[in-house]
Amino acid sequence: MMVTKPRLLWLQSITCNGNTHSFLNHPDLFSILDHFEIVHHPALEGSYTFNDVIEGIVPCDVLILEGSFTQKGFLKGGVEVSSLIETYANKAQHIISAGTCATFGGIFKQKDPENISGFCFDLEEQTSRYEMYRSKLISLPGCPMHPKWMSYVLLMIANKKKIAIDNLHRPVELYGYTVHTGCTRNEYFEWKIDVKNFGLKEGCLFYENGCQGPYTRGSCNKILWNDTSSKTRVGTPCFGCTEPNYPQESLFRTKTNMGIPAKMPLGVPKRAYLTLTGVTKSFKIKRFTERLMEYDK
Amino acid sequence: MKSLKIKQLIEKIEGEAELDFTFNEGKIEDVRINFGFYRGIEEILQGKDPRDALVITPRVCGICNHAHLLAAVRAIENGYENAGVKIELTSKAKDIREFTLACELIQNHIKWLYLTLLPQIETYLDCKSEENYAMKATYLSSTITKALAIFAGQWPHSSYAVPGGVTCDPTYLDVMQAQSLVDESVTFFEQVVTGLSLDEYLAIDMCADFHRIGGDFGKLLHLIGSNGMTEIGKSHDRFIVFGESILSKPGKSIVTTVSRVDSTFVHETAQMGTVAKAVTYKNKLYEVGPLARGMVAKTPIVKNLHKRYKDSLLTRVFARIHEIATLLAHTKRLLQNLDLNELSCTLDRKSILNDFEGTGIVEAARGSLIHKSSVKNGLIEQYEIITPTQWNLSHGNKEEQGIAIKAMVGSQNIEEATFIFRTFDVCSVCTTQ
Amino acid sequence: MKIAEKKALKRESIIQTALQLFSRNGFHKTTIPDIAAKLQMSVGNLYNYFSSKDILAQEIIKYTSEALGKKIRVVNMTDVSAQEKIYQIVSVYFTMAKEKPEMIEYFLRVYLSNREVFSDGCEGIVCVSGFITEIMIFFDESVSSGELRNQDFFSAFGLFMGYLGGMVFLKGEEVLPHDIEYYIDDISRNIYNALKA
Repeated sequence: MMVTKPRLLWLQSITCNGNTHSFLNHPDLFSILDHFEIVHHPALEGSYTFNDVIEGIVPCDVLILEGSFTQKGFLKGGVEVSSLIETYANKAQHIISAGTCATFGGIFKQKDPENISGFCFDLEEQTSRYEMYRSKLISLPGCPMHPKWMSYVLLMIANKKKIAIDNLHRPVELYGYTVHTGCTRNEYFEWKIDVKNFGLKEGCLFYENGCQGPYTRGSCNKILWNDTSSKTRVGTPCFGCTEPNYPQESLFRTKTNMGIPAKMPLGVPKRAYLTLTGVTKSFKIKRFTERLMEYDK
Repeated sequence: MKSLKIKQLIEKIEGEAELDFTFNEGKIEDVRINFGFYRGIEEILQGKDPRDALVITPRVCGICNHAHLLAAVRAIENGYENAGVKIELTSKAKDIREFTLACELIQNHIKWLYLTLLPQIETYLDCKSEENYAMKATYLSSTITKALAIFAGQWPHSSYAVPGGVTCDPTYLDVMQAQSLVDESVTFFEQVVTGLSLDEYLAIDMCADFHRIGGDFGKLLHLIGSNGMTEIGKSHDRFIVFGESILSKPGKSIVTTVSRVDSTFVHETAQMGTVAKAVTYKNKLYEVGPLARGMVAKTPIVKNLHKRYKDSLLTRVFARIHEIATLLAHTKRLLQNLDLNELSCTLDRKSILNDFEGTGIVEAARGSLIHKSSVKNGLIEQYEIITPTQWNLSHGNKEEQGIAIKAMVGSQNIEEATFIFRTFDVCSVCTTQ
Repeated sequence: MKIAEKKALKRESIIQTALQLFSRNGFHKTTIPDIAAKLQMSVGNLYNYFSSKDILAQEIIKYTSEALGKKIRVVNMTDVSAQEKIYQIVSVYFTMAKEKPEMIEYFLRVYLSNREVFSDGCEGIVCVSGFITEIMIFFDESVSSGELRNQDFFSAFGLFMGYLGGMVFLKGEEVLPHDIEYYIDDISRNIYNALKA
């Protein structure tokens, strides 16, 4: 007897396709997808055409949403994308919002903040659709989301396991950490050593260069990007792309008040942070003033 | 004379587009290309810190985001230069940027070959194989983007290029790992894509030798050749390249004459009935992309093909896949010559200019990509992005039809026409940024 | 009373006595036997609490910094404008200089004048962080609320504390024609005018 696999539909709204391409980087892509029947996907072949999707005739158990949501004004094949999303959201047992756009509104929200949002959240606020879909909603914010965050959710669904989530429906196993966790520059953060310029492996990016890693939820430095690296590992600040208020202003500059970072590491009271900072900054540790390695010696 | 209009929704082109075909006496006479939703990245950028463009503009496009990053950083660097601040990149920074961009192009072209061309031509010719082309596409694209991420931190959506250089500070551990990933990609290209060693493949300079090409590329060439498709898809035979890269210098090619270009003559206009804007150079339409680069650079095999088939579908397809080989060979050289003792970034992060105007040009997978940033009082006043697809997919003007439209005109069926359309490697999201 | 509590009280009384002697007679002129004598305890027993004069000196600066920090913290916790907070911080500082002059004198005449005593154990702001942290909190909140102009921490800190320290120094030298509290109004206004957004 043929066992029917859960039917997977990947639907795009206002997007750059970044989550689609991010997921295509997954090294075990096809073994993961083998747990599902792809009914339609923006890049991979599926068992139905996009015209079928528009007609509303496609079966759907797992709905992946990519892109920001707008109720009116975005048509595909003459049909409002919002109504397509709602049709399949009603059919599906699981809804995964892939990326910050689908989850909170993301970059494209800034074009028309009044009308563009995430599907179930508008920044951190619940949208009118939240109540209807809350029982099946999983949020995977990130610009883009990491392929392995998606595979974790898909495999948990395929294995019929319950995914523990937080109040914004993010899986706690993925978003319980901050991006700071596992950053190779942690020693410099501990000793409050600022990176001297861009392009150096020594120094922390939190003090001057805008790094939001200490207060951004995500496992970018635990589950590495492209199985290889991360922004902070290559000296690029974390831009907080998994957060509801992404993107903020002046992303390469730390906002400071009289030299004191305006935003604190997640959950750390300012007084505690400043006490520690004052103490650690009082010591000049020679090793941290030197290059980690030199070739011309 | 019966004129017939047929609407067709085209999917899997980094989004969708609607094509309205007008048939006259059984042949396509005109096509309207309509894209969905204007996302307004240029407007979103207004009022932001100029460096925020390095984060925001990659989000124009999930498949060519890295090209947007490099165009954005070049626009700032050019603006600084225009304002009198000399920016001298080290060869290390230049080479790393070139390397990561090349990786993105390879990623793109291989996805186009395996996720678009091969499945679509098999569908069109009704000879569907059981091949898992997607697995081949993602194997190579994820291998080469891993090499990219060693320097850029991640793909898609890195922001590792900053005014004056790059943020990474790689070690030889990184370089060796990247080299090994490039080698893996070369092996795949040799064993799966062409059935020839990279050197043997690159030595081919005449289409008479095409029979030697095996692998999936050989299969594609055979399908095109044996189904009477070599002559279709011709357009205006006018090409333009604005960016400088290993693939080509800037220039324009009309028939066989190559001459200089100046990006200040590029003009963008709104088009009726679509959110995509059209672009012209001195009021003329030009094709951009791998075929344009091959024509302007006078790449022997591309010239040889062009001599026989003009700017047909075959020449266009070949030029794109051929770039994979050129780029793979180039990425190997770039890694071998990296001097890690040089600075990654030469501009001090505190050197911030508050007023400037700059243009950044990059040869992206689909052709020349132009960013223009105009900054006043430390904030972006205006940002303009001209994407390659805008050139190739414009509707045209009173005098002549757009590049892709012209290539489809004359075809007798929609399936053939949409296949021709796809040989331009259409990107919906780039067109409607 | 438990032994631990008794010891803590004794420790504090040593600190307060030493603080007075150091401030009045100078660090080098005050010996451990002087302090022990004043406290009517044996020198040996005093060493049970502090193993050297330098360590005692370091503990005193931490003690005074915490005491001042606690008072400024109360100011930071009140819901008033930055201008009013400046007034209150200046008042706290000058009141302490008047009522417990040894606290401020110690900072100026022992801590700042005998850096070698503090070089190992009181590097940078380690021993005065109780006080400096509260000033940082005050600056951060006032810039964040838009009341004070954003600038480098030390350019603001130097203006604020250098001013107050200078006034207390002049008071100690007995050159001020008026009681120090007389200056609270003007000085608070001057500081606010210099730092406001």
